[in-house]
Amino acid sequence: MKAGTGRVRRPVPAPAIHSPEGSSIPGEPILSARGITKRFPGVLALDRVDLDVRAGEIRAVLGQNGAGKTTLMNILFGLVQPDEGQLYLRGRQVHFRSPHDALTIGIGMVHQTRKLVAAHTVLENLVLGNPGARGFLNLARARREIGELCQRYGVVLELGARVWQLSEGEKQWVEILKALYRGARILILDEPTSVLTPPEVKTLLTGLKALVSDQGVTVLVVTHKLPIVMAVSHAVTVLRSGRVVASLRTDEATEQILVRHMIGKDVSLRLTKAPVEPGRLLLQVEDLSAFSDKGLRALRGVSFVLREGEIFGVAGVTGNGQEELAQVIAGLRPTAAGRILFDGHDMTLRSPLARWRLGIGYIPAERAEVASIAQFSLVENTGLNFHFDRAFSTQGFFDYARLEQLTERIVDTYDVKAPHLHVQAQNLSGGNLQKLILGRVLSRKPRLLIAHLPTQGLDVEATAFVRGTLMETCSQGAAVLLISEDLDEILALSDWIAPIYEGRFAAILSRGEADAETVGAMMAGLRSEEAGAP
Amino acid sequence: MLELLTRSFEASTILVLAALGELISQRAGVLNVGLEGLMLFGGTLAFITAQSTGSYILGVLAGLAVGGFLGLAHGFFSITLRGDQVVSGMGLWILSFGLTTYIGSPYTGPLGMERIQTPFGLSPFVYLAVILVAAAWLLVFRTGPGLAIRSSGENPSAAEVSGINVAAIRYLCVTFGGMLAGLSGATYTLSYNPVWNYNFLGGWGFTSLALVFFSMWNPWILLAGASMFAAMWQLSLSPELVLPGILSRYIWRTLPFVTTIVILSIISTPWFRTRWGLARPEALGRPYAKE
Repeated sequence: MKAGTGRVRRPVPAPAIHSPEGSSIPGEPILSARGITKRFPGVLALDRVDLDVRAGEIRAVLGQNGAGKTTLMNILFGLVQPDEGQLYLRGRQVHFRSPHDALTIGIGMVHQTRKLVAAHTVLENLVLGNPGARGFLNLARARREIGELCQRYGVVLELGARVWQLSEGEKQWVEILKALYRGARILILDEPTSVLTPPEVKTLLTGLKALVSDQGVTVLVVTHKLPIVMAVSHAVTVLRSGRVVASLRTDEATEQILVRHMIGKDVSLRLTKAPVEPGRLLLQVEDLSAFSDKGLRALRGVSFVLREGEIFGVAGVTGNGQEELAQVIAGLRPTAAGRILFDGHDMTLRSPLARWRLGIGYIPAERAEVASIAQFSLVENTGLNFHFDRAFSTQGFFDYARLEQLTERIVDTYDVKAPHLHVQAQNLSGGNLQKLILGRVLSRKPRLLIAHLPTQGLDVEATAFVRGTLMETCSQGAAVLLISEDLDEILALSDWIAPIYEGRFAAILSRGEADAETVGAMMAGLRSEEAGAP
Repeated sequence: MLELLTRSFEASTILVLAALGELISQRAGVLNVGLEGLMLFGGTLAFITAQSTGSYILGVLAGLAVGGFLGLAHGFFSITLRGDQVVSGMGLWILSFGLTTYIGSPYTGPLGMERIQTPFGLSPFVYLAVILVAAAWLLVFRTGPGLAIRSSGENPSAAEVSGINVAAIRYLCVTFGGMLAGLSGATYTLSYNPVWNYNFLGGWGFTSLALVFFSMWNPWILLAGASMFAAMWQLSLSPELVLPGILSRYIWRTLPFVTTIVILSIISTPWFRTRWGLARPEALGRPYAKE
């Protein structure tokens, strides 16, 4: 690693940190931030943030959505420039004008959304931007060097494969290797576990620990998941609303302490659904198959039943047929084979609207793209579930006054924080938008609710609210088909758990039979016998 | 027959040069549908410059310069201002169509210079085009900068976090593409058909644009496609020389364009795209905003 990139200025030691919690962490900092402030239009994203990262440690940066974690990391990586404040590398002030500067100085970042070229090979992605790839590409040499790197870190990757063919876990390793191949000694990982299966998470965390202990790499992990923090980090910095509220050693922390710092108050994390007397049979799905948009058989013969008051949890990594399952039941995708019976009626050929009228409600995964229209106001977005309803029109004209009343009721009941009812949906945070969508769908009193990734990307409070609402809906007699990647969510809420892999249920387990290890293994494609399930 | 072949090569050169520049520009993610306009402008200014100075070289340079300038302008609209690339490209075409008609009308008529020397019977532009095709292929598929260009067109944010200046790459490519379009226009008015008339290209620029899609962004396929189109075009000019008495010349005339439409229809079907169409740069035509 070279320090002489022209951006390194006079050696000024970083000023002493003013730790807000008083708990100081010993050791020499390798990377320091002092007084980092960043404003986005209308938002103070970071407010005088200080951070000291010690060489050879795993530092967790914890915070809710919107706490400023990603902005801070983007500043450390040169992708965003701070309005105020300085960065120091080993006590010398540094300036990053672009990621190029940070990469040159030995800082690599693995972003939350994959930053890989899907159509290119793994090898091409690994050498992209590498200083060794100036003129003609010497892919043979790169292949050799990367092979050695893979061997050293125990990673198995097919270098000639196209990136779109890889699993999420493999893609993540491609990104990590890319940073290491470029000589990164400080590695920033932004929400690294968000799309991984539990076994992949395990591999990742073990790998990170080895990187730190064997190679002396310094790792920063940004996350809002407490178990990750507790499992790997040496020290943790908690951000709330753009400020550092605590910096402490992980062995001095507990999940409860961290939650209090993160949210500012105590929130019960362990919501669990109370078991219910199963009601009458509501949904019967028989040997259902469907094609994906690409024309591949994405759903391959799925059967299950759902009774009133129950939550049926489909656990799986996105792309294993969940989207198709939700859409086929909602009527948005044709059935390739099989039958859907709802309350005894064959639904298979009914239109989405007919299904809605009979009480099948659907919350799509993409809340900003599919479930709502970004440029529409809250009132208009609410209308999306009521446009066909005679009660909201008079002689063919839309009755906006009634719709406004309804929207107001939803906003109040579901605690949607919005400046007014006519603000565009795109100005709402993810959590508030999801609450609006949830309220809109539930105010039609569906008998069956399909909830696809209902809490994805939401902060702890909004997540607790959505989960609580789903359980309440069930206690009032509705049934919920919950499709989620979050294993904890599935296990906490579901009466029945079905791990899905490549369009098939690996098993259907009752709540008593399912534990994280078994379901996690099944989500990753291990057959039920191998996973040790009944 | 030999005459037909050499003319085909010279015609295909015009398509190849313009389409090759557009190919590189699209590989970096910038679509310029105003290609025809850039060629018109390049050809007109090259014609006027060559006629008034008596120098082919100055004419070619003028074509390169104006093409590069218009490419740069397209870059400014679509990269810096993040405008709609189709709107900007159409604007450039309409502007060029009008302005060249206005500027060029006093020059209507033949160039009136000695023809460019033709080593081994072919215009030097033909050799240049083939060399450029090979060079472009090497650049795009065998070099680090080529990887950076392809990545900028596929996933600009991935390129950016790899330390690549996406805006600079796109500017370079779109300007280079403009220069080649200007050169292509100059090839038309100085070598292929040295007579100026308003709208002398009559759609060759749009054909070049179609060829880029046809080529699946591969320079060699582009060369093959351009040669095929040019051969059909030359045949249609005088079909009776080769195939006397078969079909009317009007049908021959429409044939190259009908073929283009048919081929484009086929390659834009979902069937074709799922099978072969992975080559299309993922971020083509989309402005890139840093997060």
